[in-house]
Amino acid sequence: MSGRLVLPQALRDEIVAHARAEAPKECCGLVAGRAGRATRVIRCTNASPTPEVRYTIAELRRVVEIEDAGEELVAIYHSHPRSPAYPSPTDRREAHWPDTTYVLVSLRYDVPVPGGKGPFGPELHGYRISDRDAVRQVTLEP
Amino acid sequence: MAATVRLPGALRDAAGGETKLAASGATLGELIADIDRRHPGFAERVLDGVGALRSYVNVYIGEIDARTHGGTSAPVPDGAEVMVIPAMAGGADVAPPRSRAA
Repeated sequence: MSGRLVLPQALRDEIVAHARAEAPKECCGLVAGRAGRATRVIRCTNASPTPEVRYTIAELRRVVEIEDAGEELVAIYHSHPRSPAYPSPTDRREAHWPDTTYVLVSLRYDVPVPGGKGPFGPELHGYRISDRDAVRQVTLEP
Repeated sequence: MAATVRLPGALRDAAGGETKLAASGATLGELIADIDRRHPGFAERVLDGVGALRSYVNVYIGEIDARTHGGTSAPVPDGAEVMVIPAMAGGADVAPPRSRAA
């Protein structure tokens, strides 16, 4: 199992743009690719009834479409508008894709903070989350 | 009734690594039992202790969400494509900040 994912800057920018567009709600989506290299971002609908604090990807069928196109699902992404880019207890509890990288983008420092500092920009990190609730960081390469 | 079952994601390792397999059954429950006969343990991965679909397992029979159409009793038409896929969900679960205004 790879601990690396090539996620080119253009795709990172796309994920961040999605997060900013949905804030203060959480955004979510899929990343397709081949052999550990991401090639495209697929924005999805957050079907959670409480989208400010939870996400549920509505378009699960897109995964089959990715596979039928000869690609792989290389990542599932979502945003944390106000908290760190690290899997929350809910993220860990509801992770059922141990072989797929979870990409998290945080916007907590993407706005000026009290005192006039910042903004420092978005944070973006990747993780594998196993069925045993274990979190392992995935290196995101440009 | 024969159907094609798609298994994207983590559930495929419960079916010998197959991403697409043929199975038969008039209902979703029979279809799962048929797969379980060939791949013991599959049913346990998708069904809970009382035989209902696990909360994080989504099943689509064609365009139909099986959970809202009888669960394991949902009929499987001949030739249907059935997708069994784990949920993709989570979230920060941090309450939005309250207004600082008194």
